[in-house]
Amino acid sequence: MFSGRESATERWGPFAAWRAQHRIAAASSWHRLLSRPGSTCLIWLVVAISLALPGALLLTLDSVHRVTTDFDRGVQLSVMLETDATLADVETIQSAITAWPEIDRVAFLHRDAALSQFAEQTGLSSVLLSLNRNTLPHTLLVAPVMPMPQQTFSGLVAKLADLSGVGRVVANTRWMARLEQVLQAGWRWAWALGIAMVCGAILVLVNTLYLDVDARKEEIRVVSLIGGSPAFVRRPFLYSGLYFGAGGGVLATIGLWAFTAWVAGPVNALFLLYDQASPLSGSGATYPIAMVSLGATVGWLAALFATQRYITRLNDN
Amino acid sequence: MIEFDRVSRRYGDLDALRNLNLSLARGEMAFLTGHSGAGKSTLLRLLLLLDRPTGGEIRVNGERTASIPARSVPSYRRRFGVVFQEHRLLFDRSVHDNVALPLVMAGFSPRDSARRVRAALDKVGLLGSEGANPAILSGGERQRVGIARAVVARPEFLIADEPTGNLDPQLSAEIMGLFEAFNQVGVTVLVATHDLPLISRMRHRIITLNAGFLAGTAMT
Repeated sequence: MFSGRESATERWGPFAAWRAQHRIAAASSWHRLLSRPGSTCLIWLVVAISLALPGALLLTLDSVHRVTTDFDRGVQLSVMLETDATLADVETIQSAITAWPEIDRVAFLHRDAALSQFAEQTGLSSVLLSLNRNTLPHTLLVAPVMPMPQQTFSGLVAKLADLSGVGRVVANTRWMARLEQVLQAGWRWAWALGIAMVCGAILVLVNTLYLDVDARKEEIRVVSLIGGSPAFVRRPFLYSGLYFGAGGGVLATIGLWAFTAWVAGPVNALFLLYDQASPLSGSGATYPIAMVSLGATVGWLAALFATQRYITRLNDN
Repeated sequence: MIEFDRVSRRYGDLDALRNLNLSLARGEMAFLTGHSGAGKSTLLRLLLLLDRPTGGEIRVNGERTASIPARSVPSYRRRFGVVFQEHRLLFDRSVHDNVALPLVMAGFSPRDSARRVRAALDKVGLLGSEGANPAILSGGERQRVGIARAVVARPEFLIADEPTGNLDPQLSAEIMGLFEAFNQVGVTVLVATHDLPLISRMRHRIITLNAGFLAGTAMT
């Protein structure tokens, strides 16, 4: 073997060698993880909880937001005309506002029909019949084009109220504005919680990997001494970080799936009472992909940080 | 060819090496000796770029080591096979995997790597221990695994720091015999040792350091 001659075919090309080094590092890191099942599972759980909690919150908010978009579609303004408005006045106003771009459709509700609807819904038909005249005005039921920013919506209400012959415009949208604000606050809260928990997961992973690096310092020294590049030294730890993070992401996905299955029954039943579609019907592929890739990225970054710090210190010494 | 040209290394008030002029020809084998603290380890550290001189320059095959950028240091070190006094084997893997480590770094295919590992282990007389864990081997056997690891990638230079420090005279002679065998096939060998009785029986140059100075260089 020590003839001093080396055939060119014996050594792989740079890419093949790099791939082989990755394969070896990936396999050795995986075996190392499996050789310590207890601590590996604990780290997976920590990462899973850090990802699943904000994930569940975001999924819920996402679902509620989707449903409130449906609520928007049902928004209707009651444009009550003045009591002395004639059917000709109604027709004039109706044809005028139907042409507005922000109006989707306009329906007419005759004052007599309104009275009988009111009598029916309230059960006060005998009382109402005893009145000698119908005090209700003709009403136009106006459906604006939704979704519409709150400001434009208020502008539309004012524009309708200013029309000649219009008595009053009723638009009970304050509850929607409140819900929107609650949702906005919820989003921010979920994101803040998510960022804090992901940072927590990074710190846990950095600490774990730093201990792992410290336990293998002799290996790092020897590999550096005999010509291992920093990338070669780092590689097994990066794979460990990747496995910790991605494994946590898989567990978080399972947790999220279990959460959805558990709360979907009562939540969907509640929304059905409001004639709305079921909001919690599964998260599709977005959340699992996001959980696993976020976990893997977090794990990889934590490993990079831990090893970089250690290698720099080692070189300084 | 390794050249030390007026090399100094100062640590605070202490001069570990002072104005050292030394050269080692291609294919030569030499011993580096001197008392503890004479500068042997400093010289080897400077040669392996584990440290940089505070004065003078080191040239390897004519290339100034000071001009080697940090990113090229690993490939520079791979030109050296290094044998340590404490062998520094990794006990979480087999003898085969320990010896194969430099080949993995250098990008040898598993088939060629396995062939070279077996050849290196055969050369040091440990072919039968390929699958064993180094923890079950004796001190002499571990040192021979360390030598196999140092030579498996056919380095240009073989550097050893007190390789026989913990071994009995007979094992020490065997280890030195291995270094001679590698030197005979063209590897440049530099062995730091204080085992004077042993090296004085071998016909190679002895470089003696004393308090950081070159105290003498002589053929035995």
